[in-house]
Amino acid sequence: MARNKFDIDEELTSPFNMEHALRLLAYLKPYKAKIFITVVLMLISNIAALSGPYLIKIAIDEFIPQKNIPGLGLLSVIFLLTLIISGICLKFRIRLMSEVGHRVVENIRSDIFANLQKLPFAYYDSRPHGKILVRVVNYVNSLSDLLSNGIINLITDLFSLLVTVGYMLYIDVRLTLVSLAGLPPLVIAVFLVKDIQRKRMQALSMKQSNVNAYIHESICGMKVTQSFGRENENFRIFSELGSEYRKYWMSFVSSLFIMWPIIENISVLGAGFLYLVGISQLGKGVSVGVLIAFVSYIWRFWMPITNLGNFYNAIINAMAYLERIFETIDEKPLVDNLPGAVDMPAIQGYVEFRNVSFGYDEGEKILKGVSFKADKGDTIALVGPTGAGKTTIVSLISRFYDLDSGTILIDGEDISKVTLESLRSQMGIMMQDTFIFSGTIMDNIRYSRLDASDEEVIEAAKAVKAHDFISGLKDGYYTQVNERGSRLSTGQRQLISFARALLANPRILILDEATSSIDTKTELALQEGLERLLKGRTSFIIAHRLSTIKNATKIMYIDKGNIVEHGTHAELMRAKGAYYKLFSAQYSLLEAM
Amino acid sequence: MTFKWIWGYIRPYKHLMLLGLLMTLGASALALVNPFMTEIIVDRVISNGETGLLTAIIGITVAATLLKSIIRYAFQLIFENVSQNVFKTIREQIYDKLQKLDFDFFDKNRTGDIMAKMTGDMEAVRHFVAWVIYMVFENAMIFIIAAIMLFIIDCKLAMLMIAVTPAIAWFAVRLAMEVKPTFSSIRDQFSRLNSVVQENISGNRVVKAFAKEKFEIEKFEKENSAYRERNIESAEIWEKYLPVLDSLAGSLSVVMIFAGGIKVINRSLTLGELVAFNSFIWALNNPLRMAGWLINDIERFSASAEKIMSLLETEPRIKNPEAPMKRDGLKGSVQFRNVGFSYGDEKVLENINFTAKAGQTVAIIGPTGSGKSTVVNLICRFYDCTEGEILVDGINICDIDVRKLRESISVAMQDIFLFSDTIEGNIAYGVPDATFDQVQWAASAAGAHEFICGFPDGYDTIVGERGVGLSGGQKQRIALARALLKNPSILILDDTTSSVDLETEHKIQKTLKSFYRDRTTFIIAHRISSVKNADLILVLDEGRIIEQGRHQELLNLKGYYYNVFVNQFGDFDSVYEQEVV
Repeated sequence: MARNKFDIDEELTSPFNMEHALRLLAYLKPYKAKIFITVVLMLISNIAALSGPYLIKIAIDEFIPQKNIPGLGLLSVIFLLTLIISGICLKFRIRLMSEVGHRVVENIRSDIFANLQKLPFAYYDSRPHGKILVRVVNYVNSLSDLLSNGIINLITDLFSLLVTVGYMLYIDVRLTLVSLAGLPPLVIAVFLVKDIQRKRMQALSMKQSNVNAYIHESICGMKVTQSFGRENENFRIFSELGSEYRKYWMSFVSSLFIMWPIIENISVLGAGFLYLVGISQLGKGVSVGVLIAFVSYIWRFWMPITNLGNFYNAIINAMAYLERIFETIDEKPLVDNLPGAVDMPAIQGYVEFRNVSFGYDEGEKILKGVSFKADKGDTIALVGPTGAGKTTIVSLISRFYDLDSGTILIDGEDISKVTLESLRSQMGIMMQDTFIFSGTIMDNIRYSRLDASDEEVIEAAKAVKAHDFISGLKDGYYTQVNERGSRLSTGQRQLISFARALLANPRILILDEATSSIDTKTELALQEGLERLLKGRTSFIIAHRLSTIKNATKIMYIDKGNIVEHGTHAELMRAKGAYYKLFSAQYSLLEAM
Repeated sequence: MTFKWIWGYIRPYKHLMLLGLLMTLGASALALVNPFMTEIIVDRVISNGETGLLTAIIGITVAATLLKSIIRYAFQLIFENVSQNVFKTIREQIYDKLQKLDFDFFDKNRTGDIMAKMTGDMEAVRHFVAWVIYMVFENAMIFIIAAIMLFIIDCKLAMLMIAVTPAIAWFAVRLAMEVKPTFSSIRDQFSRLNSVVQENISGNRVVKAFAKEKFEIEKFEKENSAYRERNIESAEIWEKYLPVLDSLAGSLSVVMIFAGGIKVINRSLTLGELVAFNSFIWALNNPLRMAGWLINDIERFSASAEKIMSLLETEPRIKNPEAPMKRDGLKGSVQFRNVGFSYGDEKVLENINFTAKAGQTVAIIGPTGSGKSTVVNLICRFYDCTEGEILVDGINICDIDVRKLRESISVAMQDIFLFSDTIEGNIAYGVPDATFDQVQWAASAAGAHEFICGFPDGYDTIVGERGVGLSGGQKQRIALARALLKNPSILILDDTTSSVDLETEHKIQKTLKSFYRDRTTFIIAHRISSVKNADLILVLDEGRIIEQGRHQELLNLKGYYYNVFVNQFGDFDSVYEQEVV
C-alpha cells in the first residue's frame, strides 16, 4: 500500500463535481423550515431597510417644504419602527442561522467520525495522523460560516436580484437589457478566473495539510527529536514548509481578491453605459422619472451580484475542504458487516481455520492455505521467525482483515457472517503496541468493559500483577495518565493493557508479545496466575520467551505463511524438527552470550 | 495586552503596514466619490439637462472605481503579506518553544491541545492581522471623514447626530466584555474536541480490538455537541447586542431627518444642506453597524492570542546554564553522586551512586517501574535530578550545554517512535547527512538489513507514524540502527531488544561487541543474556540500587540477580534436560 508522509501531497481521487454542492444541500434539508423562516425574515428586514430612503424622500420632498412638523414626527416614528423591525429580524436571523450552521457542521463531523471508526488499520497506517485530524476538526469548521450566513445571503440576494430585474423589466425593457449588458463579460471573467482559483486553493489545502501533519508528528516525536538533538534540522524543515505554505497562500489570495475588483469595475462601466444610453434616449420614450428610477435600481441590481461574488469566493474556499471531507466520508471500509449479518452467540471457544489464504497487498501472500483447529479452552502458542505471519493469523481471528480465500469458524460459525461488534467484544486482544488514553488508570483498564465496577477493575489489575505498582502511585487507580502513557514505563503500560484485555472477560484471548517489556520476576508471578486466567478460555499467544510457550496445549511453528509443525512441547521436541532446532539453538545461544 | 503582543510581531513590517493603511485611507476617500457623482447625475444631468457634464462624470466615476479597486487589491495583498509573515514568525516561535520544552511538559499536555493552538488559535491571529486591522481602520476613516464633512456643513446637527454614538459605544463595550469569555470557552472546547479526535486516531488499534467504536462515537458526540453549544452560547450574546447596535446606527438617520427637518423649517439650515447630509449618512451608519461584528473578531483574536502567549511564556524546567561548557566530543565517563529524583511527591529514585568509566558497559536490571528508564533519562537531562549530581567527564551535567550533552549521547528509547518517513530517513534521523552506506551499516549492525531488504521498496519503504505496519521486533531494530548511526560517546539502549528473537539478539550482540568498546554503553534489559557481559550491573528496585557488580559477583550474592538468573537459565536447563535426555 502506498503510504503518505508529511512532505507528499495527498492526491485527490474524486474530481470536482456538482454532487458535492448537492450533498451539502442535503445536510441543510432537515433545517429547511428554519432556513425558510430566516429568508422570510431577511425579506422583511430588506423591505424595512428599503423604506428608510423612501421615508427620507417623502420628508425632503413634501413635509419639510410644507413645514409639516407633526407629519415629520410621524415619519420619524415610522422610521424608528422599521429600524426596530429590522433589528428584531436580525436577532432571529442570528439565532436561527448560528443554530443551523453549527448543527450542520456537527452533523458532517459526526458522519466523518463515524466513518473513520469503520476504516481499517491500513487507512491509519498509510498516512500521517495529523492529516486525518485536520479533516475532522479544522476543515469542517471552515464550513460553518458558509453554511450559516453564506447560504442565507445567497438565497436573499438571488431573490432581491429577481425582484429588481422584474421591476426594471416592468418599467422599461430596453433599459433593462442595456443594464444587463454587463453580465456577459462578468460571466466570462468568472469562468476565466474560477479554474485558477480552484486549483490554487486545492494546492494550498494540500500544503496546509502537510504543515499540520508535520506539526502533529513533531509533537508526538518530540522526545526522540530532543534526544537526537535534531531540533535545528526539524526547525529548518518546518520553516521550509511554512515558507512554501506562505507562497501558496499568497498565490491563492492574489487570485481570490481579483474577483471583487472585476465585478466592481464591470458594474460601474455598466452603470455608465446605462446613463449614456438613457440620457441619449431622453424624450424618445424614456422619461426623466424612469431614468432616475433606473439610476437607483442599477445599484440595487449590482449589489447582490457583488455579494454573490463574495459568496463565490467563500465557496471556492470551502470546495477544496469539502472534497476532502466527502472523500473521507466516502472512504470504503475494507471489513464491514455483511448484509444480514447476525450477532455472534456467546462464544464457546472452538476456533478453526480452513485453508486460509491472505495477503495485505495483492500478489503478496502472507498466509498460504493455513488450516488448524483449536478446542475450547486450548492455549495455542505461535512461534517462528519474524515476518512468518504469526501476528497476521491472530489478526484474522478478530476479522481485522477479510480473507482472500478459505474460512475461519468460531464455534462452527463463519466469522465473516456475524457482526463485527458481537465478534470483537467477546475477544480480548493485547497488542504489541500499547495505547493508553488520557484519563485515569481506572478508566484505561475499564475501557474494554465500560460497565465493570471498580472492584472488577482492581481484580483484573491484581490478576496481571499490576495492582502493586498502581497502588504505589500517589493517586492509585485515579492517577491521570495521558496518550502515550507518559510517566509509566513500557512494562507498566503492558500490564495495564493486559488488565484491560482481561477485564473484557473474553472467551478468546490473544496475547501478541504481551509481556516483552515485563521483568522476569513479574512475569513469573504473572505466569502462575495466567494458568488460572486462561482456564476455560481459548487463547493464542505469540512470544519469544520459550518459557511462556512451553506449557501451551498446542504449539504451532509458523514459517513462510504456513504451519510447519504443530503439537505439544514434548511432541515437538521428540520430533526434532524446526521447533527443536529453535529451542536448542536458543539454549546454546544463551550459553554463548 | 494582546495588542501589545501582536504589535511586537507587526513592528518589523511597520512601514509596509503604514503604506497599507495610507492606501486604505485613499480607498476610503475614493469610496465617497461614487455616491457623490451619482448625486450630480441625478441633480444636474438628468433633472437640469446639463448633458455635457455626463461624459466627464462617467469618466471620473470609472477612473475613481478603477483606481480604488487597484488600491484596494494592492493593500489587501499588503495586509495578507504582513499577516503571513507574522503568522509564520509566531508559528516558528511556537515550534521552537516546543522543541525547547522538556519532557515534563509533554507528559502533561495533550497533543490535541497543542495542535489546537497551532491551528485554530493561529488562524484567529492570522485573520486579525490580515483583515480586522484594516477593516477597523477603513471604517474608522470613513466615519471620521464623513463626520468632518457633516461638521463643516452644520455643526449643531452633526453634534446631535453624534450624540447617539456614546450609547453605541456603551453597548459595544458591553458586547466586548460579554463575548470574550464565550470565545475563550469555544476555543477550550475546540481543544477538547481536537484531543478526543486525535486520541481516537492514534489509538485506532485499541478501539477496534475491543469493538469500542460506539463508545468512541458517544465520547466524540459529547464533545462535538458541546462545541456547537459553546458556539451558540456565543451567538446568544451577539443576538443580544448586534441588533441593538444595528438599530442605533440606523437611528442616526431618524435624528437627521427629524432634527434636520425642524432646522430647515426654522430656516437655520437649507434644504440643499440637508440633502447633502443625507448623501453622507451611510458613511456614518455603516461603520457603526460593522462595529459589533468587528468587536467579535477582535475578541476572538484576543481569546486565542492569550492561549498562544501563555504557551510561548511557558519556561522549560531544563535550562541551559548561563555560561555553558561547550566542549565537543565528551569522552563519556558517567558518575552518579547521591542522585535522587521525585516526580511531584513520588520518589522515583533515591540515593543512586555509581561510576562508569569511559568505554565501560553498564547494565541496569530490575522490576517493572523500578526507575531504570529514569536513570538514563537523567543522564540525558530530560529531567533534572532533584537531589545529588550527575557528572559526565567529571563535569556536572547542569554546567554543560544541553545540546552538546545530548549530541554526545544516543538513546534507543523503550517507547519507540518512528516518523512517517522512509526507513532510510528514520535511521538517519539523528544524522540527516549520513550516506546510504552508513545507513546500511547501522541497519546491518542492528540486525535490520535483512528484513528491510525483504520489503518491495527496501530502504525507501515509508513507515507510518509510530512505525505501525512493522512488528515490535522490527521497530526496535530500526530504533537501534537509528541510535547506532549517531556514533555517540554514550550509548543508551533502553530495553531495545525485548521483542527481538534470541537468535537475532545474539547476532546483534556479536556485531556490537566492538562498537560497545569505543563508548560508554548503558543497557537496560530483562534478559540475563543481554546484561551478563557488562562491566557493571546495577540491580534496581523501588528506586534504589540493591545490588551492583559484575555478573559473577552478583551471582555469588544469591540475591535478586541470582534469582532472575535461576529463573531464566535454571528453568531452561531443567526443561531442556528433561526433554532431551
